[in-house]
Amino acid sequence: MKARAAITVAAAGLIFFAGYAALFIAPDEATMHEIQRVFYFHISLWTGMYTALGLAFVGNVAWLVTRQPKWDWLGVSAVEVGVVCCTGGLITGVLWGKPAWGIWWTWDARLTTCFILWLLYISYLILRGLIEEPPRRATLSAVFGIFAFLDAPLVYVSNRLWRTQHPSPVLFGGPDSGLDPAMVRVMLFCMVTVVFVTLIVLVDRYRLEGMRHELDELRLAAEAREFKSNSVPVKELP
Amino acid sequence: MRNFHFLLAAWMAVWAVFFVYELSIASRVGKLRDDIERLKRQVKDG
Amino acid sequence: MTLARAAAIILAKELRLEFRARELLTITVVFALVIVVLFSFAFDPTAGESRRYGPGLLWIAFLFAGSLMLNPSFAREQSNQTLDGLRMAPVSPFAILAGKMLANLIFLGVAEVILVPVFAVLYNISLAGIVGRLALVLLLGTVGLVVTGTVFSAVASHARMRELLLPLLLLPLLAPLLIAAVEATAALFAEQPSLDRAWLTFLAGFDTVFLTASWLLSDYLLEE
Repeated sequence: MKARAAITVAAAGLIFFAGYAALFIAPDEATMHEIQRVFYFHISLWTGMYTALGLAFVGNVAWLVTRQPKWDWLGVSAVEVGVVCCTGGLITGVLWGKPAWGIWWTWDARLTTCFILWLLYISYLILRGLIEEPPRRATLSAVFGIFAFLDAPLVYVSNRLWRTQHPSPVLFGGPDSGLDPAMVRVMLFCMVTVVFVTLIVLVDRYRLEGMRHELDELRLAAEAREFKSNSVPVKELP
Repeated sequence: MRNFHFLLAAWMAVWAVFFVYELSIASRVGKLRDDIERLKRQVKDG
Repeated sequence: MTLARAAAIILAKELRLEFRARELLTITVVFALVIVVLFSFAFDPTAGESRRYGPGLLWIAFLFAGSLMLNPSFAREQSNQTLDGLRMAPVSPFAILAGKMLANLIFLGVAEVILVPVFAVLYNISLAGIVGRLALVLLLGTVGLVVTGTVFSAVASHARMRELLLPLLLLPLLAPLLIAAVEATAALFAEQPSLDRAWLTFLAGFDTVFLTASWLLSDYLLEE
């Protein structure tokens, strides 16, 4: 309990300071001024998402190899948290696009990749919801998860290639081309904060999955008990 | 500060997303804990 | 029994089944045509626009029709419970998968052979001089569709709502394939047709990655 409280306080502190740093410490950007500061959280959310999806991949492979339920728990928890980060990335992308370029959305390589990954991993969660038996659900979603993970770099590369052939009307010149060192420091701090929060939430979700597993086992035990007490011994049959 | 409301909305959106998710986990954990306790008692007595 | 021989036997079985029924092929072709025609109502393309949007339309029609066509591949096994019999046969799971992939490739291939000329007529796109290269692009794209589609058909066959689930799983994953195939086809439909090496390499890479992944994961796909 105490460790958990300490971690929560640490997270709250990091969030507060990350916000302060992004809003006040980071230097002003020449073209977009204030709204550019969303960029620190936008990129950090991507980092969080890739961390989570990387862990999901580990969980998927480990389940197939070891068949230990805890890896399946890691798989589903990491994907859910990854989707959360991706949602945040999409929202911040939209909220950045409108004031910066006057448009809500642009089909550049990064945003398009994020959107497709979001759809792909939501499909993973939908797939899990549609398969009943836990071991089969774990195996099939692990296979799909591995395919999805392999697809992610292909999505990015194809979009990048495509967009350089047909440049989008808005040039995403790249705030990361030649970043001011002060910006780099704030960026790293925000990344660490977001990844830290991501991991905390992931652990909580993982524990939830473990409890679900425990509940299922208890249910089976309860049913077995009922079955034993209800069944008629053979020699008493008429 | 130009576009301040967008910036603020973005910052709030980021943490709201995490916070809402964390809340949903916490409520599910609470419910599960009750179910587990109930079933544990049932298995012990039954 | 070698992989090749086992796959060939499965392929023969699939083809025999479909040849007797033939419904699947008909529905696939007609559905793709419906998409192509509807598009013309929605967008009323001129000649210039046909050249620009044609490749995209063609591949969207293939992807949608294809993902419909891939469903019954494993669903049929599921409802007749023939998968247990297959599993007990002394063949590797990948042989079963490969046999089905080849069968699906042939089915979709036949559908495409019918569809592409019709499409060229409807949208006034000349196929002269590009048929061979177009066939290569179609082949690479269809292989990617069929490999991932057959795998996901196996995945979805154990889930509820599998007819809706398969396109949902498949289409986002195929986004890179769609981009590559459309760009390669567009290069061929252009005023000066050319074979886009970059996108073809990408398609080949896509196919290789997922074929390899299917091979590595085939045991898990077909287990009890």
